[in-house]
Amino acid sequence: MNRIVSKLNEDKKLLSIYFTAGYPEINDTVSIIQDLEKNGVDMIEIGLPFSDPLADGPTIQDSSTAALKNGMTTEVLFKQLESIRDTVSIPLIIMGYFNPMFQYGVEAFCKKCQELGIDGLIIPDLPVDVYHNEYQAIFEKYGLINVFLITPQTSDARIRYIDSISNGFIYMVSSASTTGAKSGFGDEQTAYFERIGKMNLNNPQVIGFGISNNETFTQATKYAKGAIIGSAFVKHVTKHGVKTIDSFTKSILN
Amino acid sequence: MTEKMKLKICGMKYQDNMEQVATLQPDYLGFIFYEKSTRHFNSESILELPKSIKKTGVFVDADIDFVLEKINKHQLQAVQLHGKESPEYCNNLKKRHAELVSISHPIEIIKVFSIKDEFDFSILKPYEQVSDYFLFDTKGKLPGGNGYTFDWNVLNNYPSTKPFFLSGGLGLNEVEKINQFVNSKASRYCYALDVNSKFEIEPGLKNIEDLKTFKKNLSTILDNNKEIVMNYNVDEKGYYGEFGGAFIPEMLYPNVEELRQNYLKVMAEPDFQKQFDKLLKDYVGRPSPLYYAKRLSKKYNTKIYLKREDLNHTGAHKINNTIGQILMAQRLGKTRIIAETGAGQHGVATATVCALMGLECIVYMGEIDIARQAPNVARMKMLGAKVVPALSGSRTLKDATNEAIRDWINNPVKTHYIIGSAIGPHPYPDMVTRFQAVISEEIKWQLKEHEGRENPDYVVACIGGGSNAAGTYYHYLHENDVKIIAVEAAGLGVDSGESAATSVLGKEGIIHGCKTLLMQTKDGQITEPYSISAGLDYPGVGPMHAHLAKTGRAEFMAITDDDAMNAGLELCKLEGIIPAIESSHALAIFEQKTFKPNDVVVMSLSGRGDKDLQNYIDYFKI
Repeated sequence: MNRIVSKLNEDKKLLSIYFTAGYPEINDTVSIIQDLEKNGVDMIEIGLPFSDPLADGPTIQDSSTAALKNGMTTEVLFKQLESIRDTVSIPLIIMGYFNPMFQYGVEAFCKKCQELGIDGLIIPDLPVDVYHNEYQAIFEKYGLINVFLITPQTSDARIRYIDSISNGFIYMVSSASTTGAKSGFGDEQTAYFERIGKMNLNNPQVIGFGISNNETFTQATKYAKGAIIGSAFVKHVTKHGVKTIDSFTKSILN
Repeated sequence: MTEKMKLKICGMKYQDNMEQVATLQPDYLGFIFYEKSTRHFNSESILELPKSIKKTGVFVDADIDFVLEKINKHQLQAVQLHGKESPEYCNNLKKRHAELVSISHPIEIIKVFSIKDEFDFSILKPYEQVSDYFLFDTKGKLPGGNGYTFDWNVLNNYPSTKPFFLSGGLGLNEVEKINQFVNSKASRYCYALDVNSKFEIEPGLKNIEDLKTFKKNLSTILDNNKEIVMNYNVDEKGYYGEFGGAFIPEMLYPNVEELRQNYLKVMAEPDFQKQFDKLLKDYVGRPSPLYYAKRLSKKYNTKIYLKREDLNHTGAHKINNTIGQILMAQRLGKTRIIAETGAGQHGVATATVCALMGLECIVYMGEIDIARQAPNVARMKMLGAKVVPALSGSRTLKDATNEAIRDWINNPVKTHYIIGSAIGPHPYPDMVTRFQAVISEEIKWQLKEHEGRENPDYVVACIGGGSNAAGTYYHYLHENDVKIIAVEAAGLGVDSGESAATSVLGKEGIIHGCKTLLMQTKDGQITEPYSISAGLDYPGVGPMHAHLAKTGRAEFMAITDDDAMNAGLELCKLEGIIPAIESSHALAIFEQKTFKPNDVVVMSLSGRGDKDLQNYIDYFKI
């Protein structure tokens, strides 16, 4: 069974962490993944940096620019991940924009992911209908779960469609925004979380965008199976380096 | 002719017969709701047909309520109007259909015109925006079904790009004639063949064997003519060949989808048309002149016409699009406008229309561009816009576009994003092209006045993202006798590493929401272009142009900074016109390519050089 699916079946709320591969230093990738697992993180999104990250706020933009400057490429990332499954067993997802994958070759990319033990992909600018018509068969051939986003503006009909195409979880974007911390969730968000909860979707939901601390994590996981933290974690490593991951995860989980 | 010529079988009456005809898989089946016709369809229901067959109701001056009732009752997907229905009638029908029946599946309107031996095509014009297809039938005693053909050569003069149905007397004896027709210019926009009486045992009862034979013959004809089957316009999925589409994060989906569902509908509204045309005339100053450049022509020993977009209000073609989009934004109930700009021309054009309409305006501009385009920054501010520096990445146009897209993600409800070029997710490239198409629409009649013909030998335009080029080519895309030249910026030279010649250096990829040719590393990171002209300094090219490059429909040329600057100065001295540096790139082709003395070359002079004065001063040490 795909590691993402087994993890979703566990009876607990999940903490998922995003980081930008190649940041702060080019060779931090493996140690970040290992430390995150060691400190109780349930799932990891490995960010493949892109020159023009449209859906990201300043924190992830800057880390992406820095990672590219450090020399991060698709090839380099794949090389770094070669033995990752010797030491890490939690689900690993690659999150990135479509163009680098498209240039690598979508099928070659998926094949490589399977070889390395990657469990899924999140590609914000690959629309669900294009995936459905052109790429779903390839993803499935290599056992990869593709995760789609929904937002407060997504219509019920489209959510149902996305749910029908999904086979892992649905990434619930907390508010109409790019990535990066907001100051907590208001009534509008909780109403949206409740609305989605009542839809009884086939796939569990994981909330992302705007989760930055214990309070927002707790709030989000009240309504969803888990929550994803990206910008706040990237900020943490920018400020405190990669040796203090334990203090970050503790601040979220306790 | 358009992609694959469709087949419509009309005058269905009997259920059993219908079932047999349906097995032939025609694209349309016609049902006549006109009591005086011997093929009048008066059954209570139509049996269930395969989804690929569009059920078409044929009406003659019927009451709209009656038409809507039939559409509803029989689940019709198209209506064919055979009487004297007015453009307003068509428009009302569409509107009321959207209100009462279905907003997501607009009814196709096929408006019929009967041709004897001659036809005044100007009567089609008011129907352009309110119908989906035209149908040409033989003029006879009855409204349709007279059983003989008209002279199809008349269609050589078809002035429109709207796809049409060919009807009237088509039978097995006409197969050879159809073969010739498919091979001729007259069939260029022929979308479908419509057959009826020549395949009947008695009125309303079709001869299946004959239809089978006809369909087989038609397939053979079409298979033999594959090479002329090429469409340069956007298809229903938003693609130009393999380019285009909408590669956008889910956060943008509701906005882009709202636009996609509405843009053609809104543009078809007579009120919208009227307002757009009026503003172009009274505010922008259109039509812009088509000027015969006598001294320039003499120097290069050919006939050069300049389409003077530089004389538009705000100094470039950009305003055609911003006028269109601000009206669109108002129709969609948006109150806040955002835009990206490189050199500031599109920013100024957007700030201008926002001032005109009293809407809030935010323009994103790369920090580096803000520093080098100070006068345009000042203009935007004077016009009431807020100019926000893009601080990420290379801090130029590409990054300004990223920032505008991020703004839209963060403000999804009341904001409209006015993209300035023929780029972005579908429907932007097509919408921008349609607003800019006024350029080639005018060239057609203006050139006719000058030269007695609508088609030049060449149309030429410079290309960054490609909006002025798209507008200049639009009405000529399917005119095979018109050659298309696209001029890109080579910067310091195509191989210098400092260039913006996307058609040469670019590879297929995704930028700003569409699949197109773009400059990138082999790892798929988008690279920085370079050109002395800020308007051409973009790492991609619109998807329509990528398709034109790939298919070879357009010839792409690359012009260096130096050659462009010299050509710009030459125009000043020979014709008394100071061109924008973007347009100077197009002008520079005359040094590189020899035209025949009798060739008529129409070139879009996309903008005026006022904004580039400092560049000219620095370059020539004036």
